[in-house]
Amino acid sequence: MSVLTVCPYCGTGCQIIVNDSDTGERVTGYSKSPVNSGKLCIKGYSGLSYNFSKQRLKYPQIKRNGEFVRVTWEEAFGEVSTKLLGIIKRYGPDAVAFQSSAKCTNEENYLMQKIARLVGTNNIDHCARSCHSPTALGLITTLGAGAATGSIRSLEDSKTYFVIGSNTTEQHPIIGTEIVKERKKGKNLVVADPRKTQLAELATLHLQFNPGTDVALLNSIMYSILEEQLQDENFIESRTQGYTDFKTEVEKYAPEVTEGITGIDPQDIREAARLIASERPTAILYAMGITQHIHGTENVMSVSNLALLTGNIGVRGSGIFPLRGQNNVQGSSDMGDLSEWYPGYVPVDSPRVKKFEELWQKTLPKTKGLALSEMFDAAADGRIKAIYVMGENPLVTETAISDVEKGIENLELFVVQDIFMTLTAGAADVVLPAATSLEKEGTFTNTERRIQKVNKVFDPPGEAKPDWWILNEIGKRVAGIRGYVSPRMIFEEIGNAIPSYSGASYDNIYPTGKQWPINSDEPDGTEILHTKSFPIGRGKFIPVSYGPPAESVDEKYDLIMTTGRNYFHYHSGTMSRRTDILNRESPGPYAEISPEDAKRLGVRNSQYITIESRHGSIKTQARITNRVPAGIIFVPFHFDESRVNRLVGKKLDPLSKIPEFKVVAVRVLT
Amino acid sequence: MKEVFAAISKDFETFGTIEKEGEVIFDKVNDFEHISEKRSRYAPKEFLIKRNENVLLLEEQTRRAVFGVKSCDLKGFYQMDKQILGKDPFYTERREKTLFVNFVCNEPCDGGFCTSFGGPILDQYDLQVLRDGKDYHIMVSDKFKEYFNDYREEGDSFFSRFSESFNSKMDVLPVDGLEGRMKWNSGLWKEFASRCISCGACNFSCPTCYCFDLYDDENERKREWDSCILSGFTSSSAGNVRKDLDERLRQRFYHKYVYFKKSKGEYLCTGCNRCVEDCPVGIDIKEVITHDYSIE
Ligand code: SF4
Ligand code: SF4
Repeated sequence: MSVLTVCPYCGTGCQIIVNDSDTGERVTGYSKSPVNSGKLCIKGYSGLSYNFSKQRLKYPQIKRNGEFVRVTWEEAFGEVSTKLLGIIKRYGPDAVAFQSSAKCTNEENYLMQKIARLVGTNNIDHCARSCHSPTALGLITTLGAGAATGSIRSLEDSKTYFVIGSNTTEQHPIIGTEIVKERKKGKNLVVADPRKTQLAELATLHLQFNPGTDVALLNSIMYSILEEQLQDENFIESRTQGYTDFKTEVEKYAPEVTEGITGIDPQDIREAARLIASERPTAILYAMGITQHIHGTENVMSVSNLALLTGNIGVRGSGIFPLRGQNNVQGSSDMGDLSEWYPGYVPVDSPRVKKFEELWQKTLPKTKGLALSEMFDAAADGRIKAIYVMGENPLVTETAISDVEKGIENLELFVVQDIFMTLTAGAADVVLPAATSLEKEGTFTNTERRIQKVNKVFDPPGEAKPDWWILNEIGKRVAGIRGYVSPRMIFEEIGNAIPSYSGASYDNIYPTGKQWPINSDEPDGTEILHTKSFPIGRGKFIPVSYGPPAESVDEKYDLIMTTGRNYFHYHSGTMSRRTDILNRESPGPYAEISPEDAKRLGVRNSQYITIESRHGSIKTQARITNRVPAGIIFVPFHFDESRVNRLVGKKLDPLSKIPEFKVVAVRVLT
Repeated sequence: MKEVFAAISKDFETFGTIEKEGEVIFDKVNDFEHISEKRSRYAPKEFLIKRNENVLLLEEQTRRAVFGVKSCDLKGFYQMDKQILGKDPFYTERREKTLFVNFVCNEPCDGGFCTSFGGPILDQYDLQVLRDGKDYHIMVSDKFKEYFNDYREEGDSFFSRFSESFNSKMDVLPVDGLEGRMKWNSGLWKEFASRCISCGACNFSCPTCYCFDLYDDENERKREWDSCILSGFTSSSAGNVRKDLDERLRQRFYHKYVYFKKSKGEYLCTGCNRCVEDCPVGIDIKEVITHDYSIE
């Protein structure tokens, strides 16, 4: 039998056909898919072996006297619910926190936030905090919707691509290949990236700017647009607000002034400005290079200013494309698994929360909860007593990790629901074995807002169960939910809770998915957003001024480290490092370092080095490459034996609370 | 044909091409009527080499019959035979127990170039089926004659006439002498490498590729489909000597059109066009054939 479902990796959301064991477990791209037209990257083709790994968790376990003991589901539920209820009774509901996952389905994310809120807390957050929380906040502020404005397919109509802070061919490969193909046909490509990525090599113009200087770069591009009067006056006049204040701010950023900050030649800035503003439609694609900064939200608003200024929004081929790192970041954010929003981005303190009180028949909490980046600190200082984690590995992915460890130690209850015994699961009191996305039903929403059906191919091993089933059992015991019999039933409730999902059903989104909003006005979904107006009426220009990153080099810490993923791995490596081909291609930790720095430091290729920041140090292997310029090193964060997030400081973007994963001052010791 | 199918399905577990959400895939079938004649989405090589399996245990395989394979894909398996039949016990066990029924295409497909390598009528097959309106003409290998005792024998002329007309409908590429024309230092390889994202699709889709990687998973030793485009390819033995992507891409084409031709007398390509269809960046193997190397 073969089953049509969705790739478990990046937010592109390629549709795959997977054969079951009777038919050879083959993976093929679905050629009718509007997302990937049958194409896949290596993670789609060779990334599924983790499903069959012998290391999968098969039974619920409780830690007794420091050792995990196998228990029945009944015992595990008893332990978790008794302790949770006890803690809530003793300390109040805000003493518990939930961490959901962008790798889980919409149904599961919806259910987890519902449980959190029914027990009385907004302490529900997930990994979108560390990737696209600035996008949600930034674009909701400026445009009224925190999502990609166009479709992957619409990129074929672009004349120019402006890619900033996205290594697209490695991180969203099938979207990257669209650009590669169009570039070959002669389209313009401007890439702004401190590293020499594959797209940078193919680009018309590569702006290799200094990490963390995005606002200065973007403002100077907009300065040049105004200088040469390339702005779209018509669009500004009829569709936007706040132009005058914005203009006053941008006028301070002559390329000659910003050169000292960004390191980019004014001529190149002007050339970029001309391409973006005149060779329209221009699509602007960005990822973590924009968001993972203490100025992440301002960076996003700056990108939005550029789109508004050039009228690159609402037309096929134009638009803003925040590329989502994980398969369901868009969906898990839509579901309200963020501590400041109920489902559908209803602010927790808004009168509109009443709607959920009616739907769930309960008085709900209305103050902001803790962000993911704050939960473990709160545990360390005793405010949080219980954390329930679904499919996350914070010991590897959170910054300043030593506090995460201290936080966990301080908890009275730490529950981890996962598919493997991750570093984090190993620290838990109760471990609940979950099914993978190939072993269950549900929906994912990809980076272009397309809600896609996820279908079951294999049976989970041992007694492992789908996350929704586990949450359902917990919810019945601690939150008084009546219980759901299937993900379909949860999805129907999502349609009632979130207006932009209201017209979607399991039957009408299969097989090729539909892009939200799907409602009575747009029963087939919406390919391009903001064609005539914005959800907030007029698009808002927000003046953004440049502020330096939290960290800068000094005599001791003389290099800037930037972190990220590589092509073969996915986040903390829970899946990809248990997948033969992917792990073989990238078997261990490393740091990319320029030949100039390597020479200066006397480092040879493959040599073990120590990287030290003001917050910690790790050992890793040097990889000498021209992909990074002198002064910058790049370190992927997939490897728990060399946890680079130990080196990242705790300073957060005050608006979105994202840490600055992209700029860390370090030194290299041999 | 229905009767033949019924007789075969008594002795074999039967699979065939069926349509699912508009895609032609292989699955179990119990009725000949369910089998699609359309070209399958992929070459069904997982019937011979599983995508991932434990190699510490070779279980006896059931006999399987696979209906609806296209000739270009089947031809690939005969080319695999020349390299691994009798050597790879897993492949050999499955190959010997699998009966392939190839459906000859009535019309050329989009992009395919099988006529450059002989066209859709193969000279090696188990059961080769050519539909003519409601009638089926079938070429039967000695191994499976028993199923056709009750049928009328005809000469080869129908097939050769078909072959002639089919071949006239598809452009033949200038493959002759390619092994002498291709250039080691051609600019093609670097240009391909600038676009390639190392997805492996060209290998996974190819009906002639069979390479795998070996790894240990607790008490099992497993093998998994591999791709020679990846830099870690063959790292379980000597490691990949081709450090750069352009060298690895060139190796793939040289293996197909130079080395195999020189060692085995034929090109290791069936003209199925599957690597072109699945390549996300539009790298077209036909360009390797038609490229003018003389000006480089
Ligand atoms: S591009 Fe993303 S969704 Fe598509 S196959 Fe690769 S990892 Fe999977
Ligand atoms: S299919 Fe194309 S992109 Fe993928 S490895 Fe082959 S040549 Fe490279």
